[in-house]
Amino acid sequence: MMGAGVEVSAARITADRVGKWFGEVIAVNNCSLSVGTGVVGLLGANGAGKSTLFKMLAGLIEPSHGSVSVFGGKLREEVGWYRRVGFCPESDALPDWMTGREFLTLNLRLMGLPGREINQRVGHWLERFELTDAAGRRLGGYSKGMRQKLKLAQALAHDPDVIFLDEPLNGMDPVSRKHSIDLVRELGETGRTVMVSSHILPEVESMTGEIILIDRGKVLAEGAVTEIRDKIPEHPTTVALNSSHPRELAGFLIGREHVVSVEVDDQGRVVVRTDHAVGFYRALPGWVLQNDLSVEEILTLDDSLEAVFQYLTQH
Amino acid sequence: MIASGAEDRALRGRTGKTMNEANQTSTPISTVATHGGLSMPAPLPSLTAIHWIAWFSFREMVRRRWIFSLGLINLLPVLVVGAIRIWFPDEGITAQHQLSSLSHEVFTTFLIPVIAMAAGVSAIGGPIEEGTIVYPWTRPIRRRSIYLGRLLAAQSVTWLLLSLSLVLCFLVMVSEGLQIINWEFLQLYFQTFLIIGIGAFTYAAIFAAMGTYFKKPVLPAILFAFGWENLVANIPARIQEWSLRFHLQNLVDRPDVDTTDLPGIIGALLATALKRDPVPKYQSIAVLLVVMAVATVVGIWLLKNKEIEK
Repeated sequence: MMGAGVEVSAARITADRVGKWFGEVIAVNNCSLSVGTGVVGLLGANGAGKSTLFKMLAGLIEPSHGSVSVFGGKLREEVGWYRRVGFCPESDALPDWMTGREFLTLNLRLMGLPGREINQRVGHWLERFELTDAAGRRLGGYSKGMRQKLKLAQALAHDPDVIFLDEPLNGMDPVSRKHSIDLVRELGETGRTVMVSSHILPEVESMTGEIILIDRGKVLAEGAVTEIRDKIPEHPTTVALNSSHPRELAGFLIGREHVVSVEVDDQGRVVVRTDHAVGFYRALPGWVLQNDLSVEEILTLDDSLEAVFQYLTQH
Repeated sequence: MIASGAEDRALRGRTGKTMNEANQTSTPISTVATHGGLSMPAPLPSLTAIHWIAWFSFREMVRRRWIFSLGLINLLPVLVVGAIRIWFPDEGITAQHQLSSLSHEVFTTFLIPVIAMAAGVSAIGGPIEEGTIVYPWTRPIRRRSIYLGRLLAAQSVTWLLLSLSLVLCFLVMVSEGLQIINWEFLQLYFQTFLIIGIGAFTYAAIFAAMGTYFKKPVLPAILFAFGWENLVANIPARIQEWSLRFHLQNLVDRPDVDTTDLPGIIGALLATALKRDPVPKYQSIAVLLVVMAVATVVGIWLLKNKEIEK
């Protein structure tokens, strides 16, 4: 039940052919997805429809067509589910007249928790995000990074099982960014469902290998990055092989099955472009053993999200 | 959801508590429905939600910038009473007459709509426009509780501001001497509090619904308060009953109007209108309460279907 693209019966979050129009602009177009436990990155360029999809999933806006559900229910109508859902909006808006402590306290009060427990949780989360010293200050005086951390804290303080984080690392300093990335990973490892959106590829990559790619309102792919990568046969994967005899290796690989092109780069590596990474990786050990070839290291040069993203969106 | 030992250790922060320890829910959550074996937790009880939202919204509203401007506008009746006290002390204008005139001509025609408009249109529209409504929206709270909590705060702010003005008027009046305080005066004074209250609550309910519907609600609100209300309240015969102002003024004991000085056909029409027998007070109260209730129900419906785009 891990990640994106799980069986609908096992999914905590589902969207079924969901779409959203704003006037004549299509923000989200016929998207279907299912998400189980773990961290799933919603990846797309600015304006791709990530926030709109998030808002539909989190019950803030109604889909123009199709349906969304969390725990099988519609958040917009069955508000009780919000006890198990956390939402960190992309918008920077906070009630600036409140202090950080008051803001967290109010949000936990509205979760129906008793006073003593609220104090305990507020103290814990303020400390966890290193906001204890600023807890008594008004939010109007908070920096962008502090506001971001407080938004994260309110989304997590009631211990939700499903968490939506819309661009959660915006404006954070590198240390807070690292802490928040670690926290998101921890949440995923402890059985929660975390959907995190970002347009910054390394950010998502550092949090999860499970992604949903969205572009121009359409879900292009969902699942593990490597799986998605392998589902793109028309787009070659680039693999670098370190060898003590690169020219000999390159000569052998030319024309082999799954190999599109071969070259030796300026570092002396054999760079192979393959149209089927899995097939190539399966065949390579056999070729090496049977032909006594020298391969010391295999590097996948473009198995990163960025490469996948570029291939899929053709940006 | 409890983490395993290693995960639990990983989650320990500087507090020495794990996320799970800090988040241990000691209060069992009741459930109301099930989905695929999972039970939907019950929403927060409406009264609890309304109470907390109203309290925090009230604190937010009294910190808004417009509250100072409204405070100044609110001094208008005090200035009138002060002017009478200073310049016309021997004209025989009794405290009852002053209070009645203020209620009839200043509070119901101007102050109540203006202050209710400022507080009402931003009650729901403000947090939607700013994007802060996303926080109560993503809590287990029924939409009507969010709406009623915010509306109650706006109505209370309106009523308190207007009441403050009335209290200041009283202080200026009694500075003349305590002899003005008699049973008729006190009766009228507390009656004015109630009239202001029902006016504040009704107008604020209408403006809150407008703020929920319109992205820029100020212009329609002004058109209603000073277009519709002014126009309809001054149309002769029963048409004026279609304005809230008429019913509020109907609750106040009207000062005498001498219509003999009014010119031409307009004078004749106005004289007819002003001479018309008032409707029973209970009818006006019923109309105002019904309008308030309808505006509130419409506002709740609008919020329930609102898209939170920010």
